[in-house]
Order: sequence, then structure tokens, then C-alpha cells
Amino acid sequence: MSKSRYARNWARWGVCLSVSVLLGLGLPLSSGAQEDLPEGFKQQGLPSPPPAEQIEAGKRVYFTKCVWCHGVEGAGDGPGAVRLWPRPRNFNAGTFKIRHTASGQLPLIDLDLLQTVTHGLPGSAMPSWEGILTEQQRKDVLAFVTTQLVQDRSWQDEEFEELFVLQLDQLTPKQNTPESIKRGSELVVEKKCIECHGLEGRGDGNAFNLKDDWGFSIQPADWHKCWNFRGSRQDPYNVRNIFRTFSTGLNGTPMPSFADNTSVDERWDIANYVNSLCEREHEIPAPQGTVSDETAQTFSTAPPLPIDPLTDKPKSNFVIPSKFVEGDLPTDENDERWKLIPRRWLAMGGQITHKPRNFVNRIDDMWVQALYNETHIEFMFRWDDRTKSIQEDEVDWDPTEVNLGDYGVEEQAPQGTTFAEDPFHQESIAAKQKDGYAVYNDGVAFQFPVKWQELPAPRKPRYFWGDERFSVDLTKWTADGTLGVYEGTGWDQDLTELDFQEEVEVVKAEWANGRWTVIIKRPIKGDYEEVAYLEAGKYIPMVFFAWDGHNGDVGRKMAVSAFYYLVMEPQIPITTYVYPGLITVGIVIIEGWVLGRRANRRKEKGQA
Amino acid sequence: MTWLKLVEGYMPMQMISELAGSILIFALANWALNRAGMGIPKFWAGVGVWIYIQLYLKYRIYPPIPFSVRAIYGTVSACGIFMWVSGSEDAWQEFKRPVMNVMDGISGFHKAVRTVSLIVIPLALGGFAYTSFLPSFEEPIELRTVHPAPPATTKVHGKTFVLQVVENPYRVNNEGKYDQAYTDARIVEQAMGRLMKDVNDPNYNPWDPNAEGYTKYVREGGEIFFQNCHFCHGDNLNGRGLWAYAFNPIPANFTDAGTIAQLQETFVFWRVSKGGIGLPGEGFPWASVMPPWEQHLTVDEIWKVVMFEYWHTGYYPRTWD
Repeated sequence: MSKSRYARNWARWGVCLSVSVLLGLGLPLSSGAQEDLPEGFKQQGLPSPPPAEQIEAGKRVYFTKCVWCHGVEGAGDGPGAVRLWPRPRNFNAGTFKIRHTASGQLPLIDLDLLQTVTHGLPGSAMPSWEGILTEQQRKDVLAFVTTQLVQDRSWQDEEFEELFVLQLDQLTPKQNTPESIKRGSELVVEKKCIECHGLEGRGDGNAFNLKDDWGFSIQPADWHKCWNFRGSRQDPYNVRNIFRTFSTGLNGTPMPSFADNTSVDERWDIANYVNSLCEREHEIPAPQGTVSDETAQTFSTAPPLPIDPLTDKPKSNFVIPSKFVEGDLPTDENDERWKLIPRRWLAMGGQITHKPRNFVNRIDDMWVQALYNETHIEFMFRWDDRTKSIQEDEVDWDPTEVNLGDYGVEEQAPQGTTFAEDPFHQESIAAKQKDGYAVYNDGVAFQFPVKWQELPAPRKPRYFWGDERFSVDLTKWTADGTLGVYEGTGWDQDLTELDFQEEVEVVKAEWANGRWTVIIKRPIKGDYEEVAYLEAGKYIPMVFFAWDGHNGDVGRKMAVSAFYYLVMEPQIPITTYVYPGLITVGIVIIEGWVLGRRANRRKEKGQA
Repeated sequence: MTWLKLVEGYMPMQMISELAGSILIFALANWALNRAGMGIPKFWAGVGVWIYIQLYLKYRIYPPIPFSVRAIYGTVSACGIFMWVSGSEDAWQEFKRPVMNVMDGISGFHKAVRTVSLIVIPLALGGFAYTSFLPSFEEPIELRTVHPAPPATTKVHGKTFVLQVVENPYRVNNEGKYDQAYTDARIVEQAMGRLMKDVNDPNYNPWDPNAEGYTKYVREGGEIFFQNCHFCHGDNLNGRGLWAYAFNPIPANFTDAGTIAQLQETFVFWRVSKGGIGLPGEGFPWASVMPPWEQHLTVDEIWKVVMFEYWHTGYYPRTWD
């Protein structure tokens, strides 16, 4: 295949060129390094072909488990493919993203591909097969895939294939000192990482013009969500994974290898910085990507978020605590009082219950915080969205209408196996171009049950805009500046505007560097009959919704959360101090009594 | 440490055997030490085993078991240890000797321990009481019935199905007759990996170009599954799909012996057709994001996808008799 050969030649030229530049400058190469390899790499021989029985055993695994997405010929065109983004891998060209080998080269089968099958590719539909397939079965299926489905290249091709392997095990990661992180933050600018990944690393630079080798749109990684890094190997805060991706690049994508124009030392600095951007328990602001000494210090010490090993995402907590504050509520995200309460991670999935379903939801989480005073409660939502989307064209429907199928808003058709006949995939979701489809408004919304005090536990109004018997009040903000509060009585029932919306206020709504910050303030005490009347110390059910306008999200096509509970924390009652005091005194008395009895008995024994 | 991983589906057996195994090792070690004349005092052995069990339950099991359940296990294991230490009068005397020695303050060291514990015990219990009196807002626990009783009949796409008598029209032998034994012989193997029996035989491989009848319908059901269902139920039907992390109740795990394996096929047909919103109250219809699939699929497609789920997990649907 001319393309991959071109890439390999290019890689070789790049290697030669950079080595000669290094030599010319008289820079010392680390001892033992082969002369034509980038720093940290070593040449390795090609693997021997797997035995025929293993290929046959792997075929059985492939046609039970893998064919459904990767297809009969391994072209990434199984029945599941069209509704997926990122799409299943097309094996035919031998192009694999996550590798220890130099840019353009084949991956190591028993390291790279085995790890991919073992740990899956987080952020995509490829699951971890550990505990499902035995290690032998995983190796068998790789024997089948690498010999039968990779067609344009071969691991046995001595003439064209070479393996320059990053010696990751032998390199010691550099300590993530503030200096290293700071240097990394300067290097990502110098090495132009930010052109694609954005100033703050939210993947918002150049986000809509990138394509992979097959013409599918591809987006730069969001460094703030390391648990979605494809190469995170179920160990997202491990800096080695970032170092590896950065050193070898992602074949088939615009992400190049930086092995030739950065030293190992510089790569550790960059990896440390990228790793420090991954979300921690508290927000660590680095506006525009500028890292002060103080910020670098915080970055180097903040512990990672706990990751749930069952989902490979941050652990979720369904209680959203809200604290009482004196005086006016914050007017922006920099108010110190937001630090009084933890921020909660809201997991968001695509709405796939009713038509039009959203198979490709690009908003997969949000952060929320809440504070309240005597009269109002304020919610701050922050979520990463690579594009600011504001609807420009007039639409035919009202904001209260929900059945947009009548206006042609439809879900992605499955297309099935006919997909293979359409080589350019113009219709698939992932191939969408910026100008090729309608852009709607970004938005966020949350619902409370009306009269939640009267719900017979555990009954709630349905998560999807309430139901006939129990209605909800839905507060919805869209990026064109509209803020409405509506009564919802079911997923297919048009909403009704409520007068309460006059009292609700958008305190701040700003999109900057790939992230929305939306602060919404509403009175605590709505009209009991129409709107939720919030009370301190109670569990008040909430559901959250989000729309990404550039993803074609509108109406029911959106991201949705599970039920969460808002708890406005009340003042601590006096009994909290009284009873433990009484208990302590009581135990002292019991102790005295026991010891006294024991002493008496010993005395009696002694006398007897 | 892959070998230490608790394997899905085998977790309870693994837990019991690990605990039993380690207790056996403790007993052997204790016996050996006693023989060698270096026996551990019974008091510390008992306390040590109890703490070991608590730590095991807290840190080994994932997802974590709630405190209330650990408290039950803690009481049960304390009773067991008590029976061991009080087996004979001598053993009991030996067990309580360190406690008595401290209470009597038989030496300067024991006196110091007594003074410290007299102060620490009330403070610790008072502190424990204080933290439990502080208003805390843990996630509320709501118990939901996963498999509520099905109705007698269900109406899908205008047709009424009597669940006791209806049969999956695609579960047929090559004469086109309903035949559960015939189709049961063609499902995947119930062994690690759950693989199809023979990849080169069109009777077993749904992807074989010559596959016909049942095997072909399995492939069609699988195509529907991987266009609609895997987002939540996962590529391996274990309830760990792309968006499973975002939803509560979590998607059903079909590879677990407690879901489709213990249900009739018609029950699954009803659950799939009517979805979360069609559940009775005890199933929390308001919280489930399971679609009522009659809104997205035809009756034939639903039957095929149900059959695929049985094929892929290697389970037989339960029958009425």
C-alpha cells in the first residue's frame, strides 16, 4: 500500500535527519543507543508467525466476540460500526494507534495489541476482555487478526518492516516537580501541542478539521479526562502512558510522534504537565494554560480522582451537597466560597430511550456545585465542549415543543451491513463536517419534581421530564441566551412555560477554551403547586440534561444523567454535642464501677 | 497482579475459598508455632484473626459491601472466634489473662496500659457517637425488584401475546418447527470465553455464509443487538457497555446466572418490548432508561434479539414445566 510505505520512508528520513542534527550539534546521545534510532528506542527483530492451530483457535474467538463491530473482513464495518464514534478499528492496513513502536511501524503483538485487548480502549466501545477471555484466548484472537485480517502489511515482511521499540520499562519517569510541570506547560506551546489540544488542553483547538486515514472526523484528546485516553490501559493517571503516546504517536491519526524533536527529558516534562491537567477533586485553575509557580506546586501534589475499576471512570456520588452562605451568592466561578463544598462529577450518557436517540453523545460528564442563602439557590455547571454552538438559522419549532421528528430531526439509521458498499461514509455521524449539517444550541437543564414532599417513597416523576401523575419543573438554558422554566408531564408531551421563569436568573454563561461555565440562580421557594419548593435537610431528586449543538443535539437528542439528590445541608442541631458528651461520661462511670468491683474481689480473695 | 483479580460471576465462591484458605493457613501456622514453643497468646491470635477478616471484607471485595453487611459478618466471625477461645476452661482463662492483667495492673507496664485505655476508650466511643450524630448525607439505599411478575398478556404493535403459550417463532429446527432442544444444542459453550462450538460449521457459526434457519436468525438478532443494545448491556452482554457508568439502575448482566438464565423467553420478550417505562412500580419504571423497544424494533426483531442473547451467553431459556 503506497500510503503506508510513504509513511515509513518519511519516518526513516525523519529519524536520520534528527539524529544527524543531534550529532551535528555535538549533543551527547545516551550510551548504548543505536545510532540511527531516536533517544530511548531500540531495534527489535520481527516476531515469528503463529502456528496454524492458534490462528484457527483465534478465528473461533473472533467470530464469537469481535465480528459484530470489526466485521467479517476486519474492515471495521461490522453491524455495530455505523452508530459508533470512535469507530471500530479497520485492521486491513495494519494501522494501530497505541504502540511502543516508532511512528508508522506495526505494533508489538504480544505487548501493544495484547494490552489493547486486555484493557480495552476507554472512551470507546472496545471493552476490557480480561476476565472474559483467558489470556490464551486473547493471544489466539490476535494470531488470527494479525495474520488473516491485516492484509496490506505483514509482521514477517523482512524487506519492509522494522520495529524500533520504545524501551519504556527501562526509563525512569521524571519526578513531577513544580519545575518539571512548569517546563512542560511551556513545551506544549513551543511544540505546538496546543494548536490541536487547545490552550487549556480541552481538545478544542482545530477541532473540526481533523480526519483519520479513512476520512472519519477525529478530535484531539481532552487532557482533563485522562480516563478517556485510549492508551490509558485502565491506569489513567500513570504518566508512562502519556509518555508512550507522545513518543510514538498514534498511527492513522494526525497525532505525530515527538521522538525526533524532543529529548526524553523534555517528554517527561510534557507528560507530567499533561497528567497534572487531568481532573482532581478540586478545580485547579490554569487559565489560558498559564501555570504560575503556585499552580505548579498545587498540580504536583493534588492526588488523582479515585477511579471505579468497574467502569474505568471517576467514582460517582449521587448526593449533591449544598451549603448555606451569608449574603449574596457568588457572581462568578472565582468566588472563594465555591471551595466550601465538593464539586460533583455528573456522569452523562446518550439519551437512547426514545426517538431520536443520541448514539454519539459528545458530552459524557459535567461538574456541578450548589450554594444557597436565605432566599436563593445557585448551581454552577462546568463541562468540556470543544465547540461553542449557537443556532444561527431560524427553526420552525417553539422552545416548548418536544416532538421534533415532525420537523425532520432524526436519529442515525443503522444501515447494517450495506455500510461496506459506501467507501467514503458521507452519511455516518463521525464524518460530519462543520458546514455539512445544522448546528443547534449548546444547553444545560435540570429537573425537580413538583411537590416532591408528597411523593410516596420511592416513587419519583419519570427521569425524562416527568409523567402524567407527577410533573416536574424543568429549568433549561440554551446558548442563544434563552432561560426557561417549564412544566414537564412526559417525554412526548410539549412543555408548558411557567411564570416562575421571571424569577430565575443566569448569573454567568461563558464558553472559554473548550469549556462552558453556566451559573443559574433560582428562588428556593417556588409556588408549591407549580414549582419545586426546596427545603434544607431533605433529599430532593434531580436529573440533568445537556446538549452539544455541533453534534446535532436538539430536543430529545441530548445527554442525560441518572437521578441525583440535592441536599441543602442544615445547621448542626445542639443534640449533636449533648449526646456524645453524656455517653462519654456514662462510660467513665461504668469503667470506675468495673474496676472497683474487680479490686474488691481481689481484696476478698487476698483476705480469704 | 492479574491472578489476584476477583473474576466476575465466580466472586462469591472465590471469596469464600480465599477466606477459608487463609484461616486454614493461620490454624496450621498457630499449631506449628505452638509445637515449636513460640505460640502466639490466644488473645492476640483471636483479635488478629478478627481484624484480618474485617480488613479482607473491606479492601478485597469490589464493589465495596456496605457497612451494615460488614457489621453482620463482623458479629458472626466474633462469635466463631469466641467459640474457639472458650472451648475449654483453660483456653478461656488463657484468652482473658492479658485483659485481666491490665485491669489488675500487675506491673508498671500494665498500669500504664490501664491508664491509657481508661482515657482512650471513653474518648473514642464519644467521638464515634459524635460523628454518628453529625447530620450526614449518604446516598440513600433504594431496593428495587429486578424481575417483577410479568402480566398474563402483553400487546405489542397491535397484537396480543399470551405469555404462557406464545413461542419464539425463530427458535426452529430445519423443518421450521419450534424445537428448543435443537436450538439449545447450537448455543455457545458454557466455558470461559463462551465461544461458539465450531467456527467452520454453518450449524454453529452464525457468520458462516451457508448458515440457515436458527443460526442465521441468531446473526440477525446479533446485528440488532450491536446496533441498539450494546451501548448499555455491553459487547459481552455483561451490563458493562459504553454508557453503563451513567445510569442507575445499572444495565442487566445477561451472563450472570440470575438474569435471563432463570427467566422464560416470553418474560424477556415482554421486558424488551415494554422497557423500563412498562415495569410495575416495584421495578422503578421512573428511573430505568431501558427503552420500550416496541418504539424502535418490530416484533420479529425483538424475538431475534432475545434469541441472540441466549445464544451468546450460552444459557437456555427456562421453560414452563
